[in-house]
Amino acid sequence: MPARAVATTGAILELRDITVEFAGFVAIAGLTLDVHEGELRCLIGPNGAGKTTALDVICGKVKPASGKVVLGGREITRLEEHQIARHGVGRKFQVPSVFRDLTVRQNMEVALCRAPGVLGNLFRFGNSGASEQLEKLAELVGLEEAMDVAAGALSHGQTQWLEIALLLAQDARLILMDEPTAGMTAHETAKTAELFNRLKGRHTLIVVEHDMGFIKEISDIISVMHQGRLLAEGTVREIETNAEVRAAYLGSGGISGA
Amino acid sequence: MEGQHKHPIWAKLVGYAAFCVVILILPLFITDDYLLNKLARYLVFGLVAMALSISWGYAGILNLGQAVSFGLGSYCMAMALKLRTIPIQTGAEGLPDFMVWNNVKSLPWFWEPFHSYGFAIAAGVLVPTILALLIGTFVFRARVTGVYVSIITLALLVVINLVVIDRQRLTGGFNGLTDLAPLELFGLTFDPYAHATYYLIAVSLGAALFLGLAVVHSKTGLIMQAIRDDENRVRYFGYDVAAYQTFALCLSAAVAGFAGMLYTLVMAFASPTFLAVPVSLSIVIWSAVGGRASLLGSAMGAIIVTGVQGSLSDTPAFLETWTLIMGALFIIVVLFLPRGLISLVDRIPLGGSARRRAAAATGAASRSGINAG
Ligand SMILES: Nc1ncnc2c1ncn2[C@@H]1O[C@H](COP(=O)(O)OP(=O)(O)OP(=O)(O)O)[C@@H](O)[C@H]1O
Ligand SMILES: [Mg+2]
Repeated sequence: MPARAVATTGAILELRDITVEFAGFVAIAGLTLDVHEGELRCLIGPNGAGKTTALDVICGKVKPASGKVVLGGREITRLEEHQIARHGVGRKFQVPSVFRDLTVRQNMEVALCRAPGVLGNLFRFGNSGASEQLEKLAELVGLEEAMDVAAGALSHGQTQWLEIALLLAQDARLILMDEPTAGMTAHETAKTAELFNRLKGRHTLIVVEHDMGFIKEISDIISVMHQGRLLAEGTVREIETNAEVRAAYLGSGGISGA
Repeated sequence: MEGQHKHPIWAKLVGYAAFCVVILILPLFITDDYLLNKLARYLVFGLVAMALSISWGYAGILNLGQAVSFGLGSYCMAMALKLRTIPIQTGAEGLPDFMVWNNVKSLPWFWEPFHSYGFAIAAGVLVPTILALLIGTFVFRARVTGVYVSIITLALLVVINLVVIDRQRLTGGFNGLTDLAPLELFGLTFDPYAHATYYLIAVSLGAALFLGLAVVHSKTGLIMQAIRDDENRVRYFGYDVAAYQTFALCLSAAVAGFAGMLYTLVMAFASPTFLAVPVSLSIVIWSAVGGRASLLGSAMGAIIVTGVQGSLSDTPAFLETWTLIMGALFIIVVLFLPRGLISLVDRIPLGGSARRRAAAATGAASRSGINAG
């Protein structure tokens, strides 16, 4: 059972009693979660808690055995991934994935999905007047000098930034981020926090993170998952002093060290 | 890793145009009709290799059944020409000779519409395209990827080849369709040794290269390349990956079917050997040698490989060893030029300041860290 009752009004995303099984193993067991428009929600929990799987369910990569996902009042549980994306869900994966053979600019053009149809896109060349927008985005993430470089040639940090730029180009209303600061330097992490704080309000974000320092910088409300369930929900202070949460993190180096 | 579009588009256009000019003026220097016929065949191979480049080089779909499209196109053209063979070569009541020998009493229903050139030419393109549409829909909706797509297309090729050989009464079986009338269209006669045939093929190849270039540089072409890199990531940007893959397969099949029709014109027959595994494998080799991610590279790969092959096998000194030499050449190119011969052209510095600037920029960016915000 969820640790806390949530109001259903005004939620842009509602997960209702989601269950996910992988060949008999229950990865998510009755997860219920609401996220409000413009909110930045952090999702934390020990390794294997089901955080990534929860994001997979929202973006359609994994279909739940039961339960439903409602986005902006519309049920999207059984839609295909690209249909869910067209409803305004963007996703960053735990493992960085960009189009390595394409240039930075081409990567952004792919992300800028104005019209997804095959035949219409046959008659669309270049970036159809979005060039300035792409340059601005590149500047925002410090890749403006690397627009014509193949993405496969970027450093790890640059690749992370490119992924963020892709999500911004996609302009999804709900953005799902899986460990966006993994492998970043302290300086880069600080920049990411700054950027996320700017995105709040205009976009709704769900961020899976382990770095408590980073979470403190960005989060409004934290949801804690453990063994496929929602264990607790609250502000940083509430979560840090929650006995159940402390118990869940026992043996994994404590909440801040995870 | 290097990016795909290293030269600006204008440089590509110049290269493509130069190639077209060369193949169009070539007949002015060739007096031997036999040689011209050979060249025309090489250009047809260039066209079918370019078709594979669309699906394999750009969308990452290694279609080992390319010979199905090529062969079906070839048979569509041959059926129309067979029905126009002069009466002495046809059997009673205008039936194709092989049907008479096989005791067929009346023309099978699916042969009827091939009395019309218009129908035959449309069928030569549409039959392979519709087949590709069915296979693509079936395979890509089921999220079949990589080597499994190749295996399925290869299996389909084997099955269709067996059916064509087995249904001798309807298809001419093992012998194929021979004794064909030449195509007569717009007051021109397209027999294998005619200049008209060569020009038809050269113009077709040129047109296909430029149309193909437009497709791969469109947004659709960009999404195809993104799918080749990471098909799953593309879905989460809202694109229906299966639709794009099916499109690439269909376009490739349409061009290959057209090439098959042209091949019937230069060969003056259609045979189940056009619709067989060795042809499919040759197409893959041509495209790999020339550069699968380049339309012109693939076309030139086919022309070079078949050209060298032709002259080696015609030279008595290499009569025994030419297959060996070809095999060795293939291995050398694939090992040392994984992006094919066309990558040699990409290395030509072309006022390459843009690229050098870009390379310097990544270097600088990774040294100084990121400065966002
Ligand atoms: N495709 C799969 N098949 C089988 N089991 C899976 C699969 N995906 C995830 N699991 C299991 O489901 C559980 C939840 O995994 P998930 O990746 O969601 O955890 P997480 O909270 O993201 O962990 P981490 O912090 O390590 O990323 C784990 O026990 C994992 O082994
Ligand atoms: Mg995870």
